Amino acid sequence: MNTNFANQFLTLLRKEFVIEFRQRYAISGIVLYVISMVFVVYASSIKVGPKEWNVFFWLIVLFAGINAVVKSFVQESGARQLYYYQLVEPSMLISAKIVYNTILLMALTLLAFGAYSVVAGNPVKDTGLFLLVLFLASLGFSIAFTFLSSIAAKASNSATLMAILSFPVILPVLLTLLRLSSVSLRLIQDTAYRKDIVNLVAIDVILVALAYILFPFVWRD
Amino acid sequence: MWWKTTSVILLIYAIVAGLLVPLKPGIDRISPDSAVTGSRLDVQIHGYNTWYSRGNTSDIRVWLQYDSLRAIAGSGIRVISDTTLAVSFEFPDTLPNGGERDMLNLIVSHPSDGVSLLPSALEIETDTSATTSTASWTDHPVEKLHVVRDFSYPYRNVIYETIRNTYFHVPMWFALMFMFLMSVIYSIKYLTRPDETSDQKAVAFTETGLMFGLLGLTTGMLWAHYAWGKAWSNDIKQLMTAVALLVYAAYFILRASFDEPEKGARLAAVYNIFAFASLVPLLYIVPRLFASLHPGATGNPAFGSQDLDNTMRLVFYPSIIGFILLGVWIAQIRFRILRLQQLADDQE
Repeated sequence: MNTNFANQFLTLLRKEFVIEFRQRYAISGIVLYVISMVFVVYASSIKVGPKEWNVFFWLIVLFAGINAVVKSFVQESGARQLYYYQLVEPSMLISAKIVYNTILLMALTLLAFGAYSVVAGNPVKDTGLFLLVLFLASLGFSIAFTFLSSIAAKASNSATLMAILSFPVILPVLLTLLRLSSVSLRLIQDTAYRKDIVNLVAIDVILVALAYILFPFVWRD
Repeated sequence: MWWKTTSVILLIYAIVAGLLVPLKPGIDRISPDSAVTGSRLDVQIHGYNTWYSRGNTSDIRVWLQYDSLRAIAGSGIRVISDTTLAVSFEFPDTLPNGGERDMLNLIVSHPSDGVSLLPSALEIETDTSATTSTASWTDHPVEKLHVVRDFSYPYRNVIYETIRNTYFHVPMWFALMFMFLMSVIYSIKYLTRPDETSDQKAVAFTETGLMFGLLGLTTGMLWAHYAWGKAWSNDIKQLMTAVALLVYAAYFILRASFDEPEKGARLAAVYNIFAFASLVPLLYIVPRLFASLHPGATGNPAFGSQDLDNTMRLVFYPSIIGFILLGVWIAQIRFRILRLQQLADDQE
């Protein structure tokens, strides 16, 4: 049974990569989105101090993240979803999508970091911590956005719904991330930042557990 | 039925006791409020809710306190009116720590009003040329205080009478959490056994919770206007509350986005559970990360122990229970309306 679940999970994860590779326009679109946003932000605020850098960077990552994840459940047709439903465990499906989106978001945040560093400079002092924050951000955004996109995809106005459902829910995560990121930019001195990391991981654990339990109710139609 | 009666009785009690019980006598200000060392100063003390003319004037004692150990006593105390006292102070040549300037606390002990304190009442500056004063800082002079027991609320210098808002503003948040918790319980019930009743109850409780949120925000803004100077000061708790209300506003938009009611109910139930889980970090973890104007330790969402005294507890706890019961009552009526609408729709 265990190997069966592991098999399902790996097959589903591979399927996500294959679909992404076949529909290259989607991923190219998102990459272009990130780069255009970096330039728009930079062009509209020529002088970027470390404090503004921090805020703008996380706004770019937030919007890019939502746009990258929102397609998770929309891109495949209803008939194909029905087919998956007969084949696999719904909890395996959401797990595979969360893992895939975490990897995708990690790549996007690194791209945004790179592109933004080129145009606006790189004020990060503690790179190790900053990379950890990027990973935690990708994980948190991926869990919340993937699950909420599965709800939003059921409605006709899914893009609007996605935004109004996700922004308030992601705010605690975003504020904690901003704070940790300020620590890594040495904007604030905080020796107790490890507690923030623990908080963030705790929020992620709660959200992933809920997504895992609740997804079967979203899935069936 | 008994709980509806209880709610009405508790709320009438909370409103009557909350608005009518007086504040303890306190000190509003003193004038002048600055002095130099080595001098003699006549000051007037302006009291609030005080009855200085009651009792024997010779029993009134006044101190200017430097720290928990040292103070100087006032002399020549005269009662000018019920709310005004005249006192003279003889300041020593130097401050106990040899510093340049410091703030002194004022303590008044009155036989019938009891003890009142004004923190940082008077600023004292060292006059280096002063060498003639015979006065000195005495150790433990503050003693034999008049302890008066009465039924009254604490006097606080920034908020004065608005301390009564504690009985109306704070219970809103308790009621809100209770309503949202009930709503989540019914959402879970709906997912385990789909049934229109559970869904309608979840909606009714969410609506009532949202109403308490708006009322809590309004009472808070009125209070903030008085105590902090402006109604909205982007305090972290104000922001988090506004965001929490957005989460539940999104709940109703999500419900309305589906043509089939069953699908909307199911997905809204799922979102309700997910949103409630994200509400906990919103209201309990995030406020700890940022400074806040609210009482309690910096940004601590909990209530500080010095913010409530035993008299206030006698009104505060009944008020919480009263508002929660009232909320359940409102939700019950709202649920019946939803159900009747449903029945009317079915008959058409």
